[in-house]
Amino acid sequence: MAAAGEANGGTGKLEFSLDVPFPSSRDATIALRSLSPDKEPRKGGISKLITVSGSTLSVRWSADESRILRVSVSSFLDHLSLVMETMEMFGPPVAV
Amino acid sequence: MTVVIGFEGSANKIGIGIIRDGEVLSNPRRTYITPPGQGFLPSDTARHHRAFILTVLKEALEQAGLKPADIDCVAYTKGPGMGAPLVTVALVARTVAQLWGKPLLGVNHCIGHIEMGRLITKANNPTVLYVSGGNTQVIAYSERRYRIFGETIDIAVGNCLDRFARVIKISNDPSPGYNIEQMAKKGSQYVELPYTVKGMDVSFSGILSYIEVRAAQRRFHTFIILLLSLQETLFSMLVEITERAMAHCGSQEVLIVGGVGCNLRLQEMMGVMCKERGAKLFATDERFCIDNGAMIAQAGWEMFRSGQVTELEDSWITQRYRTDEVEVTWRD
Repeated sequence: MAAAGEANGGTGKLEFSLDVPFPSSRDATIALRSLSPDKEPRKGGISKLITVSGSTLSVRWSADESRILRVSVSSFLDHLSLVMETMEMFGPPVAV
Repeated sequence: MTVVIGFEGSANKIGIGIIRDGEVLSNPRRTYITPPGQGFLPSDTARHHRAFILTVLKEALEQAGLKPADIDCVAYTKGPGMGAPLVTVALVARTVAQLWGKPLLGVNHCIGHIEMGRLITKANNPTVLYVSGGNTQVIAYSERRYRIFGETIDIAVGNCLDRFARVIKISNDPSPGYNIEQMAKKGSQYVELPYTVKGMDVSFSGILSYIEVRAAQRRFHTFIILLLSLQETLFSMLVEITERAMAHCGSQEVLIVGGVGCNLRLQEMMGVMCKERGAKLFATDERFCIDNGAMIAQAGWEMFRSGQVTELEDSWITQRYRTDEVEVTWRD
C-alpha cells in the first residue's frame, strides 16, 4: 500500500475489473439490463460501472477499502451466475 | 385474455404464480425454515431463494400447462421487504422478461396481498387489516390510493409473535405463528399484558420485552398461559384499530390479509366485532394469506390492464415502499 497514493491514476482507490464473454451482444445486453438497476446497498465507499462492448459484459469497481470491494464483487458474481443460469434454462431470447 | 406470472420473495417464502383473468393456474412456493430459536437473515434467505427459484419457475409453468409465449406480463415484488432476497427474485424476473420479450411490472407487496384478498373473497370495498411478520397496517381505499389509516409504530405483530417463539424455542415449521396458535389452544388461563393501542396506531415492542422477561421463569405451563394471553392481547388491539377505521369510513366489510391472517383465533375475534356492527368478515386460507407468487401476479394483472409498465432501468428493488405510494389506476 506504500505507493497507494500514486497508483490508479492518483485516486488511491482500489480498482477491480471483470470482463465476461457472452455468446452474443444481445445476451450480454440482457445480462446488463438485469444486473444494473439495483443500487449498491452500501451508499458510500464503493462504486461500479457495468457496460457492454460487443458481446462482452465489463464491470469496473472503485472502492475505498478491500473489505467493501470483496463484498460487492462477491455479490455481483453470485448475481451474475444466477442471471446466466436463468438464461441457460429459459433462453435463447425470442426473435425481436 | 391476459396471463400474468408473478414472482414473490421479499421474506422467507419464494413463490411464483400464474393468473389468467382471475383464475389461479399455478402457485408453487418454498419456505426457508430455520431451526428453533433462530430467525432468518437476509443473506441466508437470498441463498435459499437462489437455490430454488428456477425450479419453482419451472413448476409454475408446468402446473399451469403453459409455455413462456402464453404469458403476457412478468410481475415481481419491487418492495417492501428484505434487500438481498428481493434482488435475487428481481434478477430472474428481469431476465425472463427480456428472454421472452414480455413487459415487466414492479408490484408493491402489500398491494399484492390486498388484490389477492379482493379476488378470492370478492369483498367489495373492505377495510383491510394487513398483518404479517413484516407488516401491520389498516388500509382503506379512497380516491386512487390504498390509504394507511393505522399501523404499527414499531414492529409488526407477526414479528412480535415470531421473536417470542424464538425466545421459547418453538419450532419454525411450518411457521412459528402456526405453532403458537396450536399451543395457545391448549391454554385456559389468561394474564394481563401491556395493551398498547395508540389512537389509530399500535405498538408491539413493549409487549415483547415484557413477555420475554416473564418467559424467563421457564415453566412450560407458563409458556402456554403467556401464548394464550399474548394472542388475546395482540388480536384485541388489532380488532380495536380495525373497528376505529371502519367507524371513520362507514365501512361494513373487513378483509384480513397477510400471514397472521391465517390465525383462526384472530378471525374469530374479528368476527365477533363485525357481528356486533352488522359487518361482514372476509379472510383467505394459507395458500393466499401467506406470501405467494399468485398475489403478485394478480396485482400485476390489474396494473397491466390499466396500462402500467415498469421500464428495466426503473425496476430497482426497495426495502421501503409505502402502500399509499402506488397510484391505484385500476379502481375508480
